[in-house]
Amino acid sequence: MQRNSAFRRNSFYYILITPAVLLMVWLTVYPVLDVLVLSFYDYNYITDVRKFAGLKNFQQILSSELFRDSFVNTLIFSLAATLIEVGLGLALALAFDGEFFGKRHFMTVVIFPMMLSTMVVSAVWKTLYHQDIGLLNSILKQLSLKPVGWLIDPSRALSSIIIVDIWQWTPFTFIMLQASLQSIPREIFEAAQIDGARYPQIVFRITIPILLGQILLIAMLRTIDTFKLFGKVYALTQGGPGNATETLSTFIYREGFSYFNLGRAATASLLTLVIVSLISLFYIKKLVQEEGPNG
Amino acid sequence: MTRGMQQMTRSLLALVLVVLISTTLFAAGVSESGAGPTKITLTIAGRDGAYGDSLQLAADEYQKLHPEVSFEILKLSGASLFEKTVIDLRSKTGTYDLILIDDPNAPQYQEVGWLADLGAMYTKKGLSVDADFIKPALDLGRYPYNEKGKLYALPFAGNVELFAYRTDLFAKYGFGEPATWTELLEAVKVIDAKEPGVDGVVFRGTKGNPIVTAFMPIFWAFGGKVLDDSGRVTINSEAGLKSLKYFLEMSKYAPEGTVMYQSAQVRDALYAGTAAVAPEVWPGWIGDLENPSVSHVVGKVKVTKHPGEVVKSSPMIGAWLIAIPESSKQKDAAFDFLLHLTGSEMQLAMSDAYGLPPSRSSVYEVESQRQKYPWYDAQHDALLNSVARPRSVKWKEIEDILGGVLQVALMGNISAESALASVEKSINEVLK
Repeated sequence: MQRNSAFRRNSFYYILITPAVLLMVWLTVYPVLDVLVLSFYDYNYITDVRKFAGLKNFQQILSSELFRDSFVNTLIFSLAATLIEVGLGLALALAFDGEFFGKRHFMTVVIFPMMLSTMVVSAVWKTLYHQDIGLLNSILKQLSLKPVGWLIDPSRALSSIIIVDIWQWTPFTFIMLQASLQSIPREIFEAAQIDGARYPQIVFRITIPILLGQILLIAMLRTIDTFKLFGKVYALTQGGPGNATETLSTFIYREGFSYFNLGRAATASLLTLVIVSLISLFYIKKLVQEEGPNG
Repeated sequence: MTRGMQQMTRSLLALVLVVLISTTLFAAGVSESGAGPTKITLTIAGRDGAYGDSLQLAADEYQKLHPEVSFEILKLSGASLFEKTVIDLRSKTGTYDLILIDDPNAPQYQEVGWLADLGAMYTKKGLSVDADFIKPALDLGRYPYNEKGKLYALPFAGNVELFAYRTDLFAKYGFGEPATWTELLEAVKVIDAKEPGVDGVVFRGTKGNPIVTAFMPIFWAFGGKVLDDSGRVTINSEAGLKSLKYFLEMSKYAPEGTVMYQSAQVRDALYAGTAAVAPEVWPGWIGDLENPSVSHVVGKVKVTKHPGEVVKSSPMIGAWLIAIPESSKQKDAAFDFLLHLTGSEMQLAMSDAYGLPPSRSSVYEVESQRQKYPWYDAQHDALLNSVARPRSVKWKEIEDILGGVLQVALMGNISAESALASVEKSINEVLK
């Protein structure tokens, strides 16, 4: 009875938000369902031939060496880039905490890399990494060291792309964590100092535990973003040398927009969605635990 | 407000709404009235670079003769052009009136009936396709790919793969123009060993289309075939193995980093004089070869067709075709422009202004062009003797498979035998 009257009381508001909810469902749930259905079909967009394939797409893709390499590369890239960007961002936030001369100008310069488009960043780094005329190898030659095949050595190409991503996105983690640091009441640190706590103790026992929620959130955002790696690979290596820098996104792009095999592209997309969802669930679980029962 | 007045207000509001919606819906259909020919806009999906500039030139010249026709030319990268045209033609929206097509992609458009029958359009106008078009380039626009195939596209750019070598270095070490790939390798080995600062050979080693394009003239010259006439996979043959072993042997005299070389690196090496041989050059790369402000090898490089081996020279044709989508709403106007674009006058103008490789024999015989582009005789000869890539709708996938494995073999991670076996297996999967 109480529930009915509550529903009736709120029914006007439900009616008001229904269009927005329907739109959101149509824009998010419907495409995912469409992709799910398509993944069970052999479907070429050009010929418009659609044949039910059952689990054939999944079998082919999961047994494909290219897909496996793409998945492993994406995982390595995502883990490495996220860990380093969050760690480095935290270290920089701690190092530049508080007021100092020229802070505003410094912050403006620091965020430059993340304001540039991926293509511009990739073009700059492609030149830096050039085997013969790149700045990095020129410095190495000056120091009488052997030049490095940054983008041509299969064992180094993925690391080189990770470095580019770190250069571009560490400013993001830095300013986010810096803002979070600023919000911590100073009295906590003062009290700790009065009690004789040293700086490392303050950082590891006070600062990081307080910031843990924000750190996890930023890590989750960076993980989701790095899992979608495409632009840098497209511009720098095209997935080579060999399959050294192939990623899930380049695999899906090739199937979907080069070959127009939409069935296979849908299957690969679905598998990627599942993986990213599992990773996100892990973070969300940690975040909820971190917030505790009182939210 | 009384009930009656409420009702009247609602009816009035509804009427106003209907009038507003009708005006908005039908406003687009209101045409400008006035005397004179109807103004039309032809939309062309084209390429960037010299191709786009050439299209613009042709459009500007056409507009002088037909002021009622304006143009919207999209200058796109190769990948973007393919994606956009496939999506538009598939949805039959009729956005484009003319599209540029890379010749290996043509079968995909032709097989599903997306292109207008140009043969029928010629007949309707009382015209016929003239014999000045270079036959191998013209044939690429036919479907099926034979003499009796219907014509769905005309050659816009007679692009063909060529071969370049340093005449001065070959002469210095006692070598003449290589007639076979075997002769070439001998020269490459000697020059690489003895000439300081010069690599024996430079080519594109990036996986996919670049390395495949470098490999195919060698593969064909050794008698190899990717698919036979019945569509069976025949790449893993004795000829295929010999050609791949040759390719890997030749690559030992290429610069470090060749596995990631693109056209820019090959061009740079050629112009800087740090490579003795470039077994793959395209007309678009060599425009400034005789320009002293850019090239360090003026007068020292001969551009010619490839050596032969078991089979005669097999330069790969890479023509850009121009076609009219079946969904175009202005096919007649598009066809008229198409004739203008591929006519000898415009082909000469585009060649002269931007170095666009002509698709007509007569343009190669114009003295001013032969002076400006000393390799035109070789280019014409190469076109007349060119080999097309397999006319398969699955060529993109086949090329990516072959290109991926070739690069792995180039890196030394797989033997030639295993490489060909792997390619054969994968291509069979794709063609299933």
